Amino acid sequence: MSHTQQLTDEYRYYLLRKRHAEGLIISAFRGLRRNGIDPILIKGWAAARNYPESVPRFFGDIDLAVLSSDYRRAQHLIEGEKLGGIDLHRELRHLDTVEWSRLMANSELVDLDGERIRVLCAEDHFRVLCVHWLTNGGENRERLWDIVYAVRNRPALFDWSKCLDVVSPMRRRWIIATVGVAHKYLDLELDGLPFADEAKTLPTWLTRCIEREWARNLEILGLETQLKNPRSFLRQIMKRIPPNAIHATVDCEGDFDSGYRIGYQMRNMLRRLLPSIRRISSAMREK
Amino acid sequence: MNNSQHPIARKTGLVVQEVPDEVLVYDLESNKAHCLNQSAAMIWKSCDGNNSVSEIAKLVENQAGGKVTEDFVWLAIDQLSENNLLEKQIPSNFEGTSRREVIKKIGLASMVAIPVIASLVAPQSALAASSCVCNGPGACNLNGPNGQCPGRTCNGAGLCVAP
Repeated sequence: MSHTQQLTDEYRYYLLRKRHAEGLIISAFRGLRRNGIDPILIKGWAAARNYPESVPRFFGDIDLAVLSSDYRRAQHLIEGEKLGGIDLHRELRHLDTVEWSRLMANSELVDLDGERIRVLCAEDHFRVLCVHWLTNGGENRERLWDIVYAVRNRPALFDWSKCLDVVSPMRRRWIIATVGVAHKYLDLELDGLPFADEAKTLPTWLTRCIEREWARNLEILGLETQLKNPRSFLRQIMKRIPPNAIHATVDCEGDFDSGYRIGYQMRNMLRRLLPSIRRISSAMREK
Repeated sequence: MNNSQHPIARKTGLVVQEVPDEVLVYDLESNKAHCLNQSAAMIWKSCDGNNSVSEIAKLVENQAGGKVTEDFVWLAIDQLSENNLLEKQIPSNFEGTSRREVIKKIGLASMVAIPVIASLVAPQSALAASSCVCNGPGACNLNGPNGQCPGRTCNGAGLCVAP
């Protein structure tokens, strides 16, 4: 940010939150590395690196992915260090299908106040950002800017083939469709992208689902957390019927271009039904 | 007036970010954010437990290049103390006088900008970014399907924080 530019309160607040988060990131990396665990930072701070300096990119938790076999130990260490706000991931689970060892080999170290922070390479991280956005059912319009800036400010040597050809054709299409959504709604430029035409061809159900979610502007919350508020509980039920088509398709590793969503939505609903009932019963017992 | 006091700036539990002409402070204990203008920041940094109020006035005068009275320093200390940015609370030096009157009095005599500590309110975009959201008194829930935020509570600013 230029010295002559007037700071807004929002930007001041962002600088403080960022500073705080960076302190946590450094402490977490030091703590885990002292114990032989090498984490990879994903989303939040890593996504914010693509943003222009003048655009605040707020982030909540610090997302750290670790090797599955290190997960429990990492969890104990984070708790022991009393580092609140760290969201620990057991590798990348649904966010990506590339093997951890390959992601690690591709990863990069970036400097943060003298600490070397491991992040995914730009190509791998781009897939994660897209799939994460889709997993949230395309609800978060603000987070679509992650995709815009990741494309606009990608490294000069960014290799689309390294990004797209390492996953299934189905996932490849998810990523390209997310770029298409960013183009349609946030004017992301597609010139020069090797899949520009494909990105412009978006399934109608996808845009319909996004527009419905943005118009509804209702965040999905755990049903068990809304037991004390019947009205909100009912609204949350209504939000889930029918299940978000984007979330359901991604959850079932589904095809964006196949005819109907109903199959994915049914499977997704059935998959979530039992765990939801368990959580609600458990919350009611605790009450 | 007790100008022999040696105030100490709080160091722990704070996130400090310096920007041109300002110092931003986030209090991790109260989850409040403050913005100190240059004068307030200079005085805060001079509160090292060794400098008395009179000495701080001289230090700031040298740095700012204008006349700085002890009242000027007290105005900053009052605000620092009120916002819990000092190790120990220091009773106000302007008992019975409104801050407006003090500012008027000091402002007329000073060529240096009056020390000001402003509170920053969390913007909506910051609240939305948190994956834990407050959706009821004390109820912190994960901003996504089926989630909870164990060990977090809602603070007065509507943010989910670890106790």
